[in-house]
Amino acid sequence: MSSTKLISANNLVKHYHRGTETIRAVDGISFEVDHGEFISIVGPSGAGKTTLLQLIGAMDTPTSGSLKISDRETARMNDRELTLLRQQSIGFVFQSFGLIPTLTVEENIALPATFSGKKVGPVVKGLLERVGLGHRRTHRPNELSGGEMQRVAIARSLVHSPPLLLADEPTGNLDSTTSEKILELLQDLRRDGLTVIIVTHNQALAARADRTITIVDGKIVA
Amino acid sequence: MTSIHRLSMLNILRRPLRSIVTATGVAVAIAALFSLWSFQRGYQAGLNSELEKLGAHLLLVPKGCPYDAASIALHGASWPCYLDQSYLKTAKSTKHVSAAAPVFMNAVYTPDTGAQNVYCGVDEEILKIKRTWKLDGQFPNKENGLLIGSELAKDRSWKIGQTVRMPGLEGTSGTVSGIIQPTQGPDDLFCYLRLADAQRIFKRPNKLTHILVRLDPPEQLDAVLSDLRGCGAGLEMNIVPLSHLFRTIQNLVESTRLLLGSIALIALFAAGAGVANTFMMAVSERQKEIGILRATGASRSHIFNMMIRETMALCLGGGIAGIVLAIASSGIVETWLRSKLPFAPHDSLIRPEYAVALGCILGAAILGCVSGLLPAWRASNTSPVNAIRSSGVTI
Repeated sequence: MSSTKLISANNLVKHYHRGTETIRAVDGISFEVDHGEFISIVGPSGAGKTTLLQLIGAMDTPTSGSLKISDRETARMNDRELTLLRQQSIGFVFQSFGLIPTLTVEENIALPATFSGKKVGPVVKGLLERVGLGHRRTHRPNELSGGEMQRVAIARSLVHSPPLLLADEPTGNLDSTTSEKILELLQDLRRDGLTVIIVTHNQALAARADRTITIVDGKIVA
Repeated sequence: MTSIHRLSMLNILRRPLRSIVTATGVAVAIAALFSLWSFQRGYQAGLNSELEKLGAHLLLVPKGCPYDAASIALHGASWPCYLDQSYLKTAKSTKHVSAAAPVFMNAVYTPDTGAQNVYCGVDEEILKIKRTWKLDGQFPNKENGLLIGSELAKDRSWKIGQTVRMPGLEGTSGTVSGIIQPTQGPDDLFCYLRLADAQRIFKRPNKLTHILVRLDPPEQLDAVLSDLRGCGAGLEMNIVPLSHLFRTIQNLVESTRLLLGSIALIALFAAGAGVANTFMMAVSERQKEIGILRATGASRSHIFNMMIRETMALCLGGGIAGIVLAIASSGIVETWLRSKLPFAPHDSLIRPEYAVALGCILGAAILGCVSGLLPAWRASNTSPVNAIRSSGVTI
C-alpha cells in the first residue's frame, strides 16, 4: 500500500566496526518526512547526522531497520537499484560544493544527466537563470566565488528534478551574507514543493526549517 | 552535455606532466615493438628480394665460409680464393641445371675518392640467370666491352658507345656497349665485362670467383646437390643452395630478434605497470570526486568505463607517438643494425607498413585496457559515501 510520506524510517540502525570496536552511528532512529517539508538535522560532531544523511541519500544501506524513500525500501536494494534511486529521486549539495574542476559551470550542472542519459539542455539554461549564474555559464569552478560554487551545486542537484534535496552543511564554507542568500534559495525551492533536508551546525539556519531533528549519540533526542 | 568520454579526456589533461611521463613509457615500448616488427618484415622481404634478383638457385664458391662467399657474391668485393674454370663444365653437365653462369669478380678502390668499383667478368649465360635484367644497348661481344649498372652509368654520365677509363684500373679503358636498367639492387653499381677480359685484367687466367646455377625445375635441388657434391669438383668447392643459405641467415638473425623481442616485451610490461601505478595514484587522489560522481548518479560501470577510457586514451596517445618516433628514428636504427648483422640485404631493413602500425596501435589499446583494469576496478568500487566522508577538501 502506498503512503503519502516521502521518507519513512523505522528503527533505523547503522553500525560500523573500527578494529574490535563497534560504532553505533545511527542507533534505532524512527521518523517520517512529508512531501514539501524543510527539515534540519542538528547535533554535536560525531552524533550520526552525516551517517543518517548518507542513509537517506541511498549512499549506504542500514545495518537493520527499515528506510523507505518514495515507498521504496532501500535496506534491501543492491548497488544498481541504489544508483537508480539517486539518479531519479535525490539531489545532493555538499559542504565543499563537490564541483568537478575540469568542467564548466554548465557542464557541472548537467553532470547527473551524463549518467542518466536524459537531455537537459533547456533545464540547465533555466537553472542557470534561476541561480543567477547565466553569465558564468562557461566559467570553471576555480573562477567562481564560494557562493557561486554553492549555487552551481544546488542547480546541479536539481537538474534531474528530484523530489528530495539533501544538503550537508550547505553554508559551512560560506560567509554570513552568502549563507543567507543560499538559505533563501533553498526556501524558494521548498516553496516550489521540493523536500529539503539539511545537516547543519548553524543554529540560525536550523531555526528557519519547518522542523528540526536533533541527534545525539545516534538517537533522536528532540 | 558532458559525456563519459569527455570526462576521461579532461582527467588526463588534469596533470599534464604526469600524463606525458606515463605516455612516454608507452611510446618507448611501442616504438621498440614497431621497430622490431618492421625489421622482421623488412629483413625477410629484403632476403627474398635479394634471392629473386640473384636469379640463381645454387652458388658454387671456393672452399671457405659460405656466408662470406654469399655476401661477397651478392654485394661485391674482392675474393680471397678462386675456382678452376673447368668446374663450370661439370656444373653445366649436371642433370636439371638449366644455366650455369661463370663469374670472376674483383673490387678495386679509387684512391682519390675511396670509392669501391666492382668488376664482374661474365659471359652471356648470365642473362639466363638474371632474367629480370633489361638492357639498353647490348651485352659486350667485343674485347673491352662494358655492361654498366644504371646507377654507375648515371654517376659517371657514361653513354652507350662511349670509351671510358675504368675507375681504379690505371691505364685501362673500355667501351660501354650496354646499360642495365635499374634493378634496385647491387647490380646497379656493378661494371660487367667479358669473362676473358676480367681474367686478363686481374691476371687470373682460367679462374672464377663463383658460378651461379639455375635449376629446372627448382624442386630438384636435392638431386642436383647430391650429384654436384658426389663428383670430383664437388670436393674442391662449396655448393651453397641460396634458399637454404638465406634460411640459415634468418635463423642466425632469429636469436638477435628474440633478444630484441624480449626487450620490447619487458618494455611493454614496464609501461603497463607504469600506467597502472599512475592511475592507481589518480584513483586515490580522486576518491572524493569519484564519490561525488557516484552520489550524482554514476553507476559502477560508468566509473569503470571512465577509468578504462583514460588508460586506453593515454596508451593510444603513447602508442601513436611511439610509432612516429620509430619511423623518425628508423634511419639511425637501420644503420646500427647493418653494423651488427652478419648479413644485411641491400633493400631497406626496416620497412614500416600500415598493417604493422595498426597492429601496434591495437597492442597499445590492449595495453591500456589491461593496465587499466585494476585502477578501474578500484575506482568503480568507490562508495558514494566518500563524497561526504572526506570533507574538508575543496573541489
